[in-house]
Amino acid sequence: MRYSGGTSGPYRDPFSSSSASSSPSLALREPLLPSPMAAPSILCPRIPIAPLRRPSLLLPRSFSAFASPVSSRLPDEAPKGKEFSGSVGFLGLGIMGSPMALNLLKAGCDVTVWNRTKSKCDHLISLGAKFGSSPAEVTSSCNVTFAMLADPGSALVVACGTNGAAEGMGPGKGYVDVSTVDGATSKLINKQIKDTGGSFLEAPVSGSKKPAEDGQLIFLTAGDASLYETVAPLLDIMGKLRFYLGDVGNGAAMKIVVNMIMGSMMASFSEGLLLSEKVGLDPNVLIEVVSQGAISAPMYSVKGPSMVKAAYPTAFPLKHQQKDLRLALGLAESVSQPIPIAAAANELYKVAKSRGLSDQDFSAVIEALRTKMHSSEQ
Amino acid sequence: MEVGFLGLGIMGKAMARNLLRNGFRVTVWNRTLSKCQELVSEGASVGETPASVVKKCKYTIAMLSDPSAALSVVFDKDGVLEEISSGKGYIDMSTVDADTSSKISEAITKKGGYFLEAPVSGSKKPAEDGQLVILAAGGKELYEEITPAFNVLGKKSFFLGEVGNGAKMKLVVNMIMGSMMNALSEGLCLADKSGLNPQTLLDVLDLGGVANPMFKLKGPAMIKGSYAPAFPLKHQQKDMRLALALGDEHAVSMPVAATANEAFKKARGLGLGDHDFSAVFEAVKGKGSSGDA
Repeated sequence: MRYSGGTSGPYRDPFSSSSASSSPSLALREPLLPSPMAAPSILCPRIPIAPLRRPSLLLPRSFSAFASPVSSRLPDEAPKGKEFSGSVGFLGLGIMGSPMALNLLKAGCDVTVWNRTKSKCDHLISLGAKFGSSPAEVTSSCNVTFAMLADPGSALVVACGTNGAAEGMGPGKGYVDVSTVDGATSKLINKQIKDTGGSFLEAPVSGSKKPAEDGQLIFLTAGDASLYETVAPLLDIMGKLRFYLGDVGNGAAMKIVVNMIMGSMMASFSEGLLLSEKVGLDPNVLIEVVSQGAISAPMYSVKGPSMVKAAYPTAFPLKHQQKDLRLALGLAESVSQPIPIAAAANELYKVAKSRGLSDQDFSAVIEALRTKMHSSEQ
Repeated sequence: MEVGFLGLGIMGKAMARNLLRNGFRVTVWNRTLSKCQELVSEGASVGETPASVVKKCKYTIAMLSDPSAALSVVFDKDGVLEEISSGKGYIDMSTVDADTSSKISEAITKKGGYFLEAPVSGSKKPAEDGQLVILAAGGKELYEEITPAFNVLGKKSFFLGEVGNGAKMKLVVNMIMGSMMNALSEGLCLADKSGLNPQTLLDVLDLGGVANPMFKLKGPAMIKGSYAPAFPLKHQQKDMRLALALGDEHAVSMPVAATANEAFKKARGLGLGDHDFSAVFEAVKGKGSSGDA
């Protein structure tokens, strides 16, 4: 990151005693190990805008799928394209927000954080983050503010409530909501932010706890195109790939559809594990057989073994998966698309929630398939 | 090594061809005898009936389309049972329910023969490339003896214990596959109707925890409405039905699979049975409700 202006101001430059340093602080990160999905290196970080409709991308399709893998950059190579110089706010330090903000901090960004429960900010503050006592305070002191909240309700309150982000927004400022919400909520937040003169980008992510920690998220953005260009270097710190999908609502929709498929797949996988167990097969062998064939997915090999042991360490809380399926049903209804598989899967997640499994990993949905007696249990 | 091969459909033909190319002497039979000709020109011999194939060969592999064909080949006149005897092995690689497999196993072993059930995971291309996953169960000795053939036909074999276990494992895998194909179909429809580019959805799916070869391979063809059969939809629906029956037997709750089965049934009703099972996408799209194709 280049720093404009002299040694004054809130900007931090851990690499140099002089303000004239042009060493790219994006190089602070440890070089990433290429993920199994990463492509051969391409140096240009620019992503072609993914079109809303067929038929073609601006560049060959194969390029878009490989574009800008951060892992392809060498540690002391200056990143091409624009860099981000400015202060960054971060609202919401949960399972996702915390490692995302941490990655920004480690990359040398000037970060101000806020969380509803203040104590969750402590770790980041001890590492150099500033503290904002409200979303409004954060946005008013930062050029760009990210928000990572649990659901549409919290995203709306944080953005538009009393002392909310909108109150501190204004021309020249950007608000990037990386929460997973429905299109209507996103459009509402968009409007409130734009009314202040600020710009808005919806940017939900694909990827859970570990990809967040490893800076391997996938951003599904939509909204203000120039804000997208401005924050691209920050997205590249937190993620491995970014898509720009056009109008506000498109990012939300893409995320919802992806998670709908994921939720249905996990429910089906759960049925398979349980069935194999009940008919006398070894579910671990099922996992191995699946991993050899056409339906082999990382999710199955990663989560399968602990599901067999009835352990569900939380990478993605079940309650959020159910929320996403509910949003998918809402989206489907709005466009009159029947989605019976997703509806059936949603019921299972609801059953799991009713059994107290909301905060377990979403793979705990397998428990919903086990019949339980109701009368004298907890 | 010499083997008999009964059933030269999408899978059987590719598998028999692989054996021929790898130095096996193969005697083939198919219900429609004319379908044997191509392999004859590649070096295969022909048996006029399943019985004549078994008479000639120590080991006979079968690859039939469903339980009734598998039973027919064994029990009907001029069937396998007429010539099976001590020292001969019968390897049924068809996908059937556990009961059918047990019935065949019992009949074969009663006549002194050895039996191995060995359904496969993998469709046309893996069959052509010798990359099948073989889910064997039953006669352990026969499993060991037929290994040279399995090494040609597949990339990995599992021995799963008693007869029935191979059949069950195959059904469970195909149950998950059928539900996943439905989930993908719903996702593509919803993406499209919401104004998103379905190919972009495929690109995003391919980057994360749910990425899998099936989505990657079939997704683009589905978007184009192209369903050349690697695995016929009618067989997928058969497998879902058998998996649900297995669940019924053991009172296992399977709401997602049941819903997927409904979509496959609807697709069959639309006349899509001989298309690739990814054609269930057309049923999910809601085609056919008002007389349109």
